[in-house]
Amino acid sequence: MTRLLLAVSTGLAGLMLSNAAFSADLPGKFPGVTIDVKLIGGQQYEKLYERIPEWEKATGAKVNILTKKNGFDIDKELKSDIASGSTNWCVGWNHSSFAPQYTGLYTDLSKLLPKDEIDAFVPSTIKAATIDGKLEMLPRAQFDVSALYYQKSLYENADNKTKFKAKYGYDLAPPDTWKEVTDQAQFFANPPNFYGTQFAGKEEAINGRFYEMVVAEGGEYLDKDGKPVFNSEAGIRALDWFVNLYKAKAVPAGTTNYLWDDLGQGFASGTVAINLDWPGWAGFFNDPKSSKVAGNVGVKVAPKGSSGKRTGWSGFHGFSVTENCANKEAAASLVWWLTNEDSQKLEAAAGPLPTRTAVWDWDLKQAENDPYKKEVLGAFQEEAKHAFAVPQTPEWIEISNAVYPELQAAILGDKTSKQALDEAAAKATQILQDAGKL
Amino acid sequence: MKGFKPSAPFLLLLPAIIVLAAVVVLPLILSLYSSFTPFRLTRPETFFVFVGFRNYLSILSNADFWWAFGRTVLLLTIALNLEMLLGLGLAMLVEKATRGQRVLRTLMMFPMMFSPILVGFQFKFMFNDNIGLVNNALQSLGITQDAIPWLIEGHLAFIAISIAEIWSSTSIFAILILAGLLAMPKEPIEAARVDGCTPWQTFRYVTWPFVMPFAYIAMTIRSLDVARAYDIVKIMTDGGPAGRTELLWTLVGRTAYSDARMGLANAMAYFSILLSIAFTVYFYNKLAAARAQIGAEW
Amino acid sequence: MMDENASARLTRRTLTVAHRVGLFLAMLVICLPGIWIVLSSLRPTVEIMAKPPVWIPQQLSFDAYVAMFSGIGKGGIPVLDYFRNSLIISVTSTVIAVAIGMAGGYAFARYRFRGKSGMFLGLMLTRTVPGIALSLPLFFLYVRLGIIDTHIGMILAYVALNVPFTIWLIDGFFRQVPKDLAEAAQIDGCTRWQAFWQVEFPLARPGIASAAIFAFLTCWNEFALASQLTRSVNSKTLPVGLLDYTAEFTIDWRGMCALAVVMIIPALTLTYIVQKHLVGGLTSGAVKG
Repeated sequence: MTRLLLAVSTGLAGLMLSNAAFSADLPGKFPGVTIDVKLIGGQQYEKLYERIPEWEKATGAKVNILTKKNGFDIDKELKSDIASGSTNWCVGWNHSSFAPQYTGLYTDLSKLLPKDEIDAFVPSTIKAATIDGKLEMLPRAQFDVSALYYQKSLYENADNKTKFKAKYGYDLAPPDTWKEVTDQAQFFANPPNFYGTQFAGKEEAINGRFYEMVVAEGGEYLDKDGKPVFNSEAGIRALDWFVNLYKAKAVPAGTTNYLWDDLGQGFASGTVAINLDWPGWAGFFNDPKSSKVAGNVGVKVAPKGSSGKRTGWSGFHGFSVTENCANKEAAASLVWWLTNEDSQKLEAAAGPLPTRTAVWDWDLKQAENDPYKKEVLGAFQEEAKHAFAVPQTPEWIEISNAVYPELQAAILGDKTSKQALDEAAAKATQILQDAGKL
Repeated sequence: MKGFKPSAPFLLLLPAIIVLAAVVVLPLILSLYSSFTPFRLTRPETFFVFVGFRNYLSILSNADFWWAFGRTVLLLTIALNLEMLLGLGLAMLVEKATRGQRVLRTLMMFPMMFSPILVGFQFKFMFNDNIGLVNNALQSLGITQDAIPWLIEGHLAFIAISIAEIWSSTSIFAILILAGLLAMPKEPIEAARVDGCTPWQTFRYVTWPFVMPFAYIAMTIRSLDVARAYDIVKIMTDGGPAGRTELLWTLVGRTAYSDARMGLANAMAYFSILLSIAFTVYFYNKLAAARAQIGAEW
Repeated sequence: MMDENASARLTRRTLTVAHRVGLFLAMLVICLPGIWIVLSSLRPTVEIMAKPPVWIPQQLSFDAYVAMFSGIGKGGIPVLDYFRNSLIISVTSTVIAVAIGMAGGYAFARYRFRGKSGMFLGLMLTRTVPGIALSLPLFFLYVRLGIIDTHIGMILAYVALNVPFTIWLIDGFFRQVPKDLAEAAQIDGCTRWQAFWQVEFPLARPGIASAAIFAFLTCWNEFALASQLTRSVNSKTLPVGLLDYTAEFTIDWRGMCALAVVMIIPALTLTYIVQKHLVGGLTSGAVKG
């Protein structure tokens, strides 16, 4: 408690005394300060780090990169750090799906940065980054929500149109409901050479897809008391969507072992008609060097479930400042720098979605002369309105790990959807009880 | 001189003992302790809560765990035996070759150059049902029209991970058995031939007894080291789908880091260590027997 | 008589052909994934992922290799740093592990002492601990000692990983060297130390060489511990570097294959070189039971 008070008062003191309280003064001056950081590695994420030397030059501080790894390995490392009490480094990678697990690791950024800077971010994202009232991270331009990619030529083919109309009684057009996706996927499928659609089949990936489908069917994953209630009617309808497509062989038989890379490569190989996928793939799909469907890709907002709600499971990357950091103002300045307008423009130019309102506008303007990019951004901008994050419980990943084998069991036909969900809900309840949450 | 002698082996072994105590035994004591706590990585304070055998009891009644346990034993048994047979065959093929020995031996060890994690990525890709090499080849050759879901179907998935494991580890058997074959004196074989033994008899009664200790060394080393299959399975299926290829190590890995329940995971790990010890002691005894048989000093 | 000769010759020829075919098939199975990795590193992604498959490469290029060595952001990864780390860590820990292994192996092969069997088994059993169970407690210790993300820490861990292994192998090979040879040398006036280096060591060299190959390859390829104990370019090794090609949603398969080739070539070269010693020690035919 005293430590908390101390942290708060330091924060307040920082607010009153330091220049960093006014956005005009960012990034500020921190000569002689060294900031230890832990960053996510990988092509897509590293371009941004070229901006670090500029921050060093502007502030006189030095950045020392302790770690650069992929997300799951950083997650492991952060947990090991918390466990061994070695958390005196300053700036760390964070992700909305992982963030609630790191209880007590990261400090409240809203106390370290001026309000107008925080208001410049998309409000729903800031809300999702706020855990128990603390703004634990500032999002970078790596916002993820899925939209529907499809092969345009399939929908322009006259033969397809007449046959589809004859069979299903309505016009063939890019789908707006998940029911239509089911019809069309079965219509287009011609295994083993061509599939109607596909879905991520394991780990948090399938649980996330299931979660958004539950929401679109009008159900809840956890109720307002935090109790798992995804084994409701809506939950069963949601799971049946996956089960029926698998039974109808409208999805690749290996789909329960697929993760994101398999899905993206699959759509790029031209063997899948409709694909719900992330914005990061937009460029890849339309590049003749990497994709067989280049020039033939349409993008549309994600379809609606039976409740009229669209799916919109979302997540984003960000940076956080640790509670034990010796120089929080300098650390917060670095976090601000990596997520400010120029940084977001740099990242967004390569394809990922921004999290600042102004950068969205800029991005759309940049795309004006590129019809494909315009279509992509339009779809994702629309989709971002329907986006929702995962339930903010530290046990989310653990629940995912308990639930996904049950989902797979239902898809593969080992259990009925109801059996599988009842067992999954029992396991999830057990986890939450063990953690003292229920 | 007499007074010095008993301490010589101790001195010679001292460096090994120090290193192993520091890097293996000490951490093991730590993890043994933590298996009696509800230790969660994200809540360091739980490290100091003592719950006795609760983790072990919850494992005993956990059906998923015992399935994984049984599956691990099955994988070990199948993989080790096939690896030994294939390794023996390979070593003999290479030993008989008259030309290009050096190249052949290097090639024989080729899979050992592959990091297990790389083997995992590579076989996962080859066994992909839609765009994988194996299905593409089968379909192009007209053997099947279907996309065989190698990594999905219960038995196929198990076979796929066994193939990856066997591919990556047969070399170890082959090279050790080859070393044995090369170290083998030539006279007994000549003598056997002069006595009119058939090639099979020569192999069975002269070559095999001599090579057997090397095979058992390889077997024991592999059973010690078999947990490195973790990297392969982790990448290929991570125990899925629906737990069909769950092994002890994938279960421990997920419980430890992803679920952050280190206390429980360490308790599971101790079961897996017991399993390794059982395998090791078994082969070790076989090794001692084999040595006694060829009259080596023990 | 003529017939018998002819049929014997025929049998022999059939056997030779069968042997060649068998050998060829075995080598094919062994090498195929490797060849495929090399090919994949040279082909554009669209061709790797093609359906229907493209069996005969249409376009080959070194783009992936060029990109790997380009700067960060242009598809580059710090491959030179990884390479240096891997080399330093693997070579140093192999040398130490073999030295310790020679001492220990010699003790087991040449001395009788109380509790020998149990001691031997005990050493071996330290190897039964799976890396996944060891990684966190080891991490705790390393944090306290401040050797996380250092070469020293990795070398220490790998020495421990390999020592049981090298002791065992070298013990086995010392056993193959007849005791009388060293005793004869000692009678001729050598000290035990001299006898070891002049008589027993050269004879056991193939064994020591293969122990060294094993130890080196284990270090070179180890992942589970390295992923926990390394963090940045200070100590990250090549297998951990492979994951630089995986992001949250994507895998750059071609880049990964290119890095795999970079990883495999030095290991292959080294094995080929050490191979010579393995053969050299054996050709004299001095090893007699």
